[in-house]
Formats: sequence, C-alpha cells, structure tokens
Amino acid sequence: MPKKIIGAICCCLFMSLPGAEAQDVKKLVEVSGTAGISYEGYGLSRRPSGWLGYSPRKPWNQVRFNFTPTFKFGKNFSLPFNFNFAAIPTNFAGPYAGLAKQNFGQFITNPMNNFGLNPKYKWAELQLGTQYLKYSELSTGDIGVFGAGFDLRPGVYRIKFFTGISQQGVNFFAGPPSVTGAYKRQNWMFQLGAEKEGKYLVALNFAKGKDVASSSAPPPLTVRPQEGFVMSLVGDVYFKKGWYVKTEGSRSTFTKDITTPYNPLIDDFKPFIRARTSTVTDYAVQATMGKKSANFDIGLTTKYLGAGFQTTGYPYLQPDRLDYTVNTRFNAWKKKINVVASVGQRVNNVSNTALKAKQFIGNLNWYTQFNDHWSLNVNYNNFGFQSAGGINPYGIKNVSNDLGVNPTFTWMNTKMMHLLSMSYNYSKYDERDVITGLTTSNNTHMVLLTYVPTYLTKDLSPDFSAMYFYNDVPAAKISLFTLSAGLAMPAAKNKLRLRGQLQYTLGKLNSFSSNNNLIASCNVDVKIGKKLTWTSFMSTNYFKYGNEITPNNANYLESNVRTGFQYRFEPRKGK
Amino acid sequence: MKKTFLLILINLFAVNLFAQLKIDLVMSSTPPAQLSEWGNRREVLTLIVTSQPGLNIDYKIKAEIKTTDGTVIGTSDLATVPVFRNSSSATIFTATDVLPLDKMIFTGKYKNSLQRTGKLPSDNYSLCVQLVRPIDYTPASEVKCKTFYLASTQLPILMKPYNEEVLDAKQAQTAITFRWTALLPRTTTPVSYRVQVFEVLENQTPVQALRSNMPLLDQEVKATTQYIWRPQISFIWIQPGDLDGDGTFDPVGKMKKSETGAENNKTANPKYPGKPFIWTVQTLDDHGLPVTQTDGSGEARSEPVVFFVKDRAKVKDEKN
Repeated sequence: MPKKIIGAICCCLFMSLPGAEAQDVKKLVEVSGTAGISYEGYGLSRRPSGWLGYSPRKPWNQVRFNFTPTFKFGKNFSLPFNFNFAAIPTNFAGPYAGLAKQNFGQFITNPMNNFGLNPKYKWAELQLGTQYLKYSELSTGDIGVFGAGFDLRPGVYRIKFFTGISQQGVNFFAGPPSVTGAYKRQNWMFQLGAEKEGKYLVALNFAKGKDVASSSAPPPLTVRPQEGFVMSLVGDVYFKKGWYVKTEGSRSTFTKDITTPYNPLIDDFKPFIRARTSTVTDYAVQATMGKKSANFDIGLTTKYLGAGFQTTGYPYLQPDRLDYTVNTRFNAWKKKINVVASVGQRVNNVSNTALKAKQFIGNLNWYTQFNDHWSLNVNYNNFGFQSAGGINPYGIKNVSNDLGVNPTFTWMNTKMMHLLSMSYNYSKYDERDVITGLTTSNNTHMVLLTYVPTYLTKDLSPDFSAMYFYNDVPAAKISLFTLSAGLAMPAAKNKLRLRGQLQYTLGKLNSFSSNNNLIASCNVDVKIGKKLTWTSFMSTNYFKYGNEITPNNANYLESNVRTGFQYRFEPRKGK
Repeated sequence: MKKTFLLILINLFAVNLFAQLKIDLVMSSTPPAQLSEWGNRREVLTLIVTSQPGLNIDYKIKAEIKTTDGTVIGTSDLATVPVFRNSSSATIFTATDVLPLDKMIFTGKYKNSLQRTGKLPSDNYSLCVQLVRPIDYTPASEVKCKTFYLASTQLPILMKPYNEEVLDAKQAQTAITFRWTALLPRTTTPVSYRVQVFEVLENQTPVQALRSNMPLLDQEVKATTQYIWRPQISFIWIQPGDLDGDGTFDPVGKMKKSETGAENNKTANPKYPGKPFIWTVQTLDDHGLPVTQTDGSGEARSEPVVFFVKDRAKVKDEKN
C-alpha cells in the first residue's frame, strides 16, 4: 500500500514541475525550495562464510523522496510543502521499532516520513500533516504529530493549536525479527501568548498525549498505555545592552498505565486528566539570565526537573535533576583571542538523598590567532561523577579529563597556500570499582598531523593526514595508526565536482596480530542543468582482523552507494 | 477459675481459626521502585491463602509497609478494601489485591513522594500482611512479613561526546570515544549497555533520526562505561550541501534558514555546525530487557546527545 502511495505522489510531484515553470503561472506564482529523489544501497560480505561477527548497519536498499518547495502567491500568501519520506521502514528505536510492513496509517505517522503543508496568509498559518512543533523547552518539542492546527499571530498575540496522532498502534510480535509494538497516541497542544521580537515573550502552553489501550493486539510487552498532560508558563524579557532573562515553569501530570484504577487520593487536573493509581504529578523550572554582545557573552542557567516530571512531548527527557551552569564567550586582543567556557554542576536523583549523584562539568576552548601564520586552539573538558554506593562498600566516582592542543601554521607563495595543523589530545578517565575501591585509569593519547595545500592557479584541493591513537587500560592496550589522503577537483567546466578519499588504518590490540582497515570513497556531483544536480557518493570499507577474534583473520567488505537528483526551484529575480 | 477456663477456650478458638486460614507471602527482595508496576509483575508479590476444606470465611487483606525501625508509613484502608471469601483450594493474590494503591493510606513525606514520583524513597522496608474479618477487623490469620529494598533506578548519563560537541572529522574517522555513567544503583546482576549512534539525515531532527534510522553503531558492552568506536565511515560527505545550487559546497556560515516550511517546524530548519549524529545508551538487565519500563519512553534509553563531525582543516582553509 505505501509503495503505491509513494508512486502516486511522485508522479504527481514530478509532473507538476514543468507546470511550475509555465510563463503565465510564473507571473502569479513564485516558487523556491527543492525536490529530489535519492537511492541508497548497502552491501556487506563477510568471510569466512557463516561468520556473523559484524552486523549490517544500513538498509540494503532505500529510496528517499523530498519535495519542499514554497509557492508564493503575491505578497501575502505562501504555501510551503515539507514532504520527506522513505520507501522502506528502518525504525530501530521508538514506537515503530522492528516494523517491517506498515499499513497506511503507520506509514503516514512513521517518524521516518513527513507530509507537512503550511499555507500562510499574512499572520495566519494553517498547519496540516506532519508537524514538529516546539512550543517550549518543558512542554512539547521532540515529537512529530500528524494532524491539523493553526498558528495565529495577530499583532503581538500568539494563538496556536494543533491536534493529531503521533504514533499508530503497532502489534507486538515476538519475532524473529521482533516488533516492540506501540499504542496509538493522540496528541493536542495549545499556546496562548504575546510576543514582541527582541522585547518579550509571555506564553501559556498546554500539551497532552493519550494512548488508546485497545489499539494494539497483542499489546507491547514492555510499555503500558500512558497519558500525560503538561502545562507551562514561559516568560522571556530582553533588556537594553543585550541583557535578557528567560524563564519557564511547568507542571506535568502523567499516568504511567491508564489501565490502573482511578485514585481519588491523588491530585488530578480535571478536565484535562484524571488521576489513577499510576499517576504522578511534578514540576520543572528553567531560568536563564545573561548578556549578549559582539565581544562578550555571559549566561547563568539553572534547570530543575522533578523526579516525577514527564511529558509526551519529550519522551527521552531524564527527570530528577538539578543543573546549574555558567557560560561565557569573549573576544580579546583585537578579536584575535576567542574564548568559550562553561562550568557547572548537575545533581541527579535529587529526590533521593541516599543515592544522590553529582556531576561536575567544565569546558574551555581558547583560540588565539597570533599572526597571519600562527594560530593555536586549546581545549579542556572535565566531567566528574560521584554517587553513594548504596548496598556496595564504595561509592561510584568517575572522572574524565581531556586536554587538546592544536597549533596551525599557514604560509603561502605566489602559487600555493599551505596549511599545516597538528593536534594532540590527552584523555584520562578514572573509574572507581564499587566493590574493591580501587581506581582504574584509562589513558588515551591522540596525535594528528594534517597538511592541506591549496593551489592558487589550479582547481585542485588535496589534503593529507597522519594520525596515531593509543588507549591504555589495565587489561587492554589499543593502538591505531591512520594515513589518509583526499582530493577535490572540478571538471568539465565546473559542471562536475569530484572528491575522493583514501584511508588506511593499522590497528593493534595487546599482543595480538594487527588488524587492517582500508576505506575508499568518492563523491561525484554533476550539474545537469541550471537547476538540476545529480549527486553520488560511493564508499567501500574493508576490514581484516588479526588473531584477536575467532575465527582468526576474519574480514568483511562493506559498500555503500548514495545517488540522487535534486531539483532546485528558483524564484525569478525582479519579479 | 471460670475466667481462666473462658480465656483458655477463647485462645483455643482463636488458634483454631488461624489454623483454618493460612497465608504464605512470597516477595521479591528488590521489587520495582514504581509501586504501580508491582501489579503488572506476578513475580514481585504473591500471597497464597489456604484453609480447611468446607470452611466459608469472609476476610479482608490488611497490608502495612514499615520502615526498618517499625514505623508504619502506609496501610490498607480497611473500610474500602474488598472482601474475599476463601475457596476450597488455595487462593492466590497479587500486588493488585494485596496493595491496592487507591485504597492505601500513606503518611507524611512518603505520601508526598508517592504522589510526585510514584515511588517511595530509596530504603529498606518491610511489608506485613494479615487477613482480618470484615466486620470488626479482628485477626483471621497470622501476620507474615517480608523485607525488601527499594531503589529508584537512575539511567546512565552520557558524558562524552558531550551535547553538541564538534568532533574533528579526521580524528573521528579513526576513533570516537564514548563515555557514560554507570546505572544507579549498581545491581547485583550485571547490566548491559547498548551504545547506539544514529546518523541525522537531511530534513530530520535528531530525535526523529533516533526513532527512524538504523543505527550506525549498536554495540553491547558489559561492566564498563567506555567504548572506543572505530566508525569506518568516510566523513568527506559531512560538508554542508549545495544550498545555493551553484555546484560548490557552501561554507558552514552560509547555511541559511530553510524556506521549505513553517519557521517553527524544526525539520525545516537544520542549522548544524557539522554533520549531526545522535547517540544514546540503552541499559538492559540480565534477561536482555530494559531495566526500567515506566520512566520516559519505557525503553531504558538515556537522554540522547547530539554531536557533530566537521572537517576543521577544510573549514580553516576556506576561511583563509
């Protein structure tokens, strides 16, 4: 069924292209954006026969379509399309994980596919089909919903509403291959607010998602039908000289299993949601204040997510934490020094004092352009994580320290410009064993040397690099040595652009014999017409193990091809 | 003398009645922290009631949750819990009957914790169960208690690459190091961490890519919180595409706001400083199942993190 639909849509879309070019229509309609079709093929050959130690990581065949033009009718009306879809489902995580054959409803709402249409007249926008709407950081934003709604912005006012389905019911199947299964989820969201760009924003958000318990049979084994409602208030104010304050407070009421009985003992939020025994209600707050300017930024951010805070709009949000971060950026020495730094702490499991976990986060990136030839980039990252041991004799303590130094030297003559860049990174990762209390250190050294010559009189862009990587832990020592070369060049009077790369890596684990890896890839982009481009990417990856695995000297050859046509709609200048 | 005889008679009657209703309580020592989840898993709690054949007795189940010092923090509301009648064979009850959360009264901070999180604070507790008569709540069986430990599972936090870190393509082609924190609390049985990396394709949001694509990396590791990935991927295609259609690849700074959709539709606005990838860690128990199924997406996947891969040498070259 979906294949027929794809075929029909494609025919319609591509048949419509010449129509958009008709002279008379052009006077009334202006079209911009792109449309295209691409194919991706993947191959994997493993030796010896029957060895399955390396798994395929792409679909064997995939066809993707995109149709994203914007039709403009006069000054006030525009009709943007956002159609992106693929022929074969490849869902691995989330509600459609493992789904091989999809029905029409599943195809339409599969996160792989977008079918969005947003006709807009002056300040009124109609939202149809798939929409990824971000109302705020603590209400909804990560989930695509297929449905209908509007976004009205009369003057300073903001009135938004959208309702639809974010996932269809998927039956559980034990497999192989297994299908996790999912419940059909209905969503709606509403925003009422006022905004003056660069001055202020006040908005009240409501978002709800509810599963249909009877929508899958057999139902998923590991997920229960859920219902969640969130209400948030956003308030942003921008002052003079770049100062700003942004805040959001949110309350979520989330039922983890809608088959559990109603519970009058728990606070609910009628008429939006009624409490059951598996309902939790909690709060989240986020606040940022700071200053932005051309040469100096500073910001203080704090975020608290209560242990029971959960929304359907951000399904992977990790609650029960308190973050506070100070970040800054400044330029100095006539903008030759650029520094970006942040320092902060995250406290996890705030609600549970016995096993509270603290994480320190510090980042620094310091770039200096000494003169026309020399520049230096230094970065330092520190992450520390600490928690009580619980039933274990010692607490958890992980500390990660990374230091990178990257000097670059450039010089040129009348024919060539040269860039020589060296990177050295040292990484130390200490981890305490919760049983013995002993700390193991994991040290990594990495050196990279890159040379990029640029011909001023020719259209050749080669680059060369050599890299050494060494990781040392008590039980394993890994060393990798990589040589890489690339070349980019135009051809056929700039109608053809070629890029290629060759990379060889020699790897070694402990005293085992070395493994070898060769990667070759190339891009070929062809300008067929003024608006039509044909792009292709081909890559092959050969890996041969030493005797570190059984069977010894196992190897695989992986190949990947991507090719596609892209048509660009271009509005006529002066129209 | 009469009084003594009467007391002996009452005691004999009571002992006889207890002997008629016998209970066995079987309970996991580490049940799920989410109390509402207990009813979905038979292995968490089972109460077996047996009686002498031919005896018809009505009873209610009285359950109490206590802390280690004996303080009762939650108890059945005996006025509202259902009445059961013994059958000729053994009657088996699960957590849904023994601990009906809509008929349990919790106190103080425990009530607050349960309402906010659906969990009790991490600690050692005991559950005591007794059958009582419906009218006067006098004992109809002996008391059976089991101790258990509750700990709220905290999924790993992704440490490296950190959120929105930009990795150099030349380095990333050889190796990318992933680090995360361990599952809290450490369990007695080993857990597995599945490190997963997804490519974010053009016109996809990162979370959309995670929910749509096959992972480029899906590696299960045990007893360690670091993995060094050799991507074996050529990153030469990481440069931004030909946005203006002039046949050349545009520098990052040229990337413009897409005109293809609504300005608040995130798929139509990919302003990335390099080729985006999203990674996460899924934590599985020794049966290969997600360690927590009631929090977040139910997949026990840690909050994903986006990182970018960019050919820095090329960008520097373009700047010059």
